[in-house]
Amino acid sequence: MTQDEVFNVVKKNIRDVLAHLNGHEIPIEASLKDLGANSLDRADITIQCMEDLQIKIPLVEFGGINNIEGLVKLLTRKVNE
Amino acid sequence: MRQVVVTGLGVVTAIGQGIDEFGAALKAGRSGIKSVSTAMGLPLNSAALLTDFDVDTSLSKIGDMPDALYQRARAFTRRAPLPVQSSVVTAVEAWHQAQLTDAAVEASRISLVVAGQNLNQRYGYDLQQKYHDTLEYLPPRYGVHFLDTDQVGVVSELLGIRGEGLTVGGASASGNVGLIQGSRLIQWGVADVCVVIGAMMDLSPLEVQAFQSLGALGGKTIREAEKACRPFDQAREGFIYGQGSGCLILENETLAKQRGIRPWAKLVGSGLALDGNRLTDPNATGEARAMKQALHAAEMSVADVEYINTHGTASLLGDEAEIAAIRELFGDTVSQVWLNSTKSLTGHCLSAAGVVEAIATLIQMKEGFVHPNLNLDQPLDKRCRFAGRESQPAAITIALSNSFGFGGINSSIVLRNG
Repeated sequence: MTQDEVFNVVKKNIRDVLAHLNGHEIPIEASLKDLGANSLDRADITIQCMEDLQIKIPLVEFGGINNIEGLVKLLTRKVNE
Repeated sequence: MRQVVVTGLGVVTAIGQGIDEFGAALKAGRSGIKSVSTAMGLPLNSAALLTDFDVDTSLSKIGDMPDALYQRARAFTRRAPLPVQSSVVTAVEAWHQAQLTDAAVEASRISLVVAGQNLNQRYGYDLQQKYHDTLEYLPPRYGVHFLDTDQVGVVSELLGIRGEGLTVGGASASGNVGLIQGSRLIQWGVADVCVVIGAMMDLSPLEVQAFQSLGALGGKTIREAEKACRPFDQAREGFIYGQGSGCLILENETLAKQRGIRPWAKLVGSGLALDGNRLTDPNATGEARAMKQALHAAEMSVADVEYINTHGTASLLGDEAEIAAIRELFGDTVSQVWLNSTKSLTGHCLSAAGVVEAIATLIQMKEGFVHPNLNLDQPLDKRCRFAGRESQPAAITIALSNSFGFGGINSSIVLRNG
C-alpha cells in the first residue's frame, strides 16, 4: 500500500470525525490539533484508521508524532510490514 | 425561604419535539405508541420510540437562537449517543425559552442536574456486539460516553455553566428526584438557576428482555399498538416503553422577577420516601407518604389539589397501589381531583418520566385542560375522576405529579400556578 493510499484513508477518517472540514483541503503537514481535533477526536481518528487498515499498533508508538504526515508514515510502515 | 419558579421548558418525545408540538399532542390526545418492527432488535411489539428524531430538525424548531449556540449544539452531538443528543436539544430549548442565552447571570450561580442513570445501555450493547472480537478498534470516545456524567460535561460546556453539577438517580422516579435536588440547590442558596434534565434511558435488548421476563411490560396479549397502553384500565397488562427527555429551568423567584421573566409556575413542595424494598413491587403506604410530605412541604392540604399527574404506568400492581394511595389521602373527596396518565400517550419514559410529566402538568395548568387517559374503558376504581377519551377544560391552580421507581423509591412534587 502506498503512502498516498494511506493518506486517503487518514483523510477519510479526519473528515468523518471533523465534519467542519468537509469540502476543505487537508494538508499533510498540518497537525490534527491545528485542524480543530480535540483529544477524543484524535484518538478516534487514529483507531478508525487502524481499523480500516486492519492493523494493530501499540498506542505508545504514536507518542512522538506531531502531524498528519508522521501518522501517515507510521501507518504506511506498519501496513506494509 | 427562597421560592423556586419554572422559567423554561424543553421536551423531546414520540408525540412531539418541542413544547408547542408536545402541548398540541397532549390536547389532541395523540399517542406515540406504534408497532415496533423486529428490525429494531428490541424484544417487544409496541413502543413510543424516537424513530424520526434528528438533532438538526429539532434545533431548527426552537427558533431564533444565536447561530454560535446552534452550531456548537450540532458539533457536540454529532457523534454522541441518542440520550446525549436528546438532552442537548431539550436543554437548548429550555435555556432559550428562559431567555438565558444572553442573560447576565453569573455562570457560577447556575447549576446542572442530570436526572437518570444507566442512560446509554443500547450504545454499550451495540458496541459490544460490533467489537466483541476486535476490542482494539473500539471507538476511544466510549471512555467518556459510557458515563452518565458525560451529559453534565456536554451541557455545562455548551451552556457555559460553572456552578454545581451532578447526576441523580431514582430509577423511574429519577425525573422527580432531579427536580427535588434542583429545587433544593435554589432553596439552599447554592444556585440562582438550575437546569434540570430528565435524561432518556436508551434500553438495549437486555433490559427490554429482563422487563419482559419480570412481567413488567404490556402488550402481552394486546397486539394492537394503540390499545396496548391502558393505565388504570381493568384490562391493563404492563407498561409500554417510551423514549424521550425533558428539561426544566428552575430559578430563584427573585432573580426571575429581576430579569422580567414570567414563570410557568412555582415548585412549592416535594416528597421523596423509601419503602425499604429492593424489589419491583409498589407500596401504597410509601406512595401516600411521598404525596403527604410534598403537600406538607407546600403547606397545603388535599383540598387544595385539583389535579394529579399520576405515575400510572399501566402495570397491574402499580396502578392499583397508586389508586389506593390516592384514596387513602383524599378519602371521599377523591371524586373531585382530576387524574390522568401522560404515559398513555408518551409511553413510559423511565428516568425522564418525572420531568416529561412535570412539563405535561405545567402545560395543562397554563392552558386549562386535562389531557385524555387513553384506553380507559373499564376504570379499576369508579369513584376516581379520571380524564376521559378527549381533553376536557379544567382550571388547575395546584397539581401533584407522582413518580415511583423500582427499589421502593416514591416521589411527588407540588406545582402551583401563580
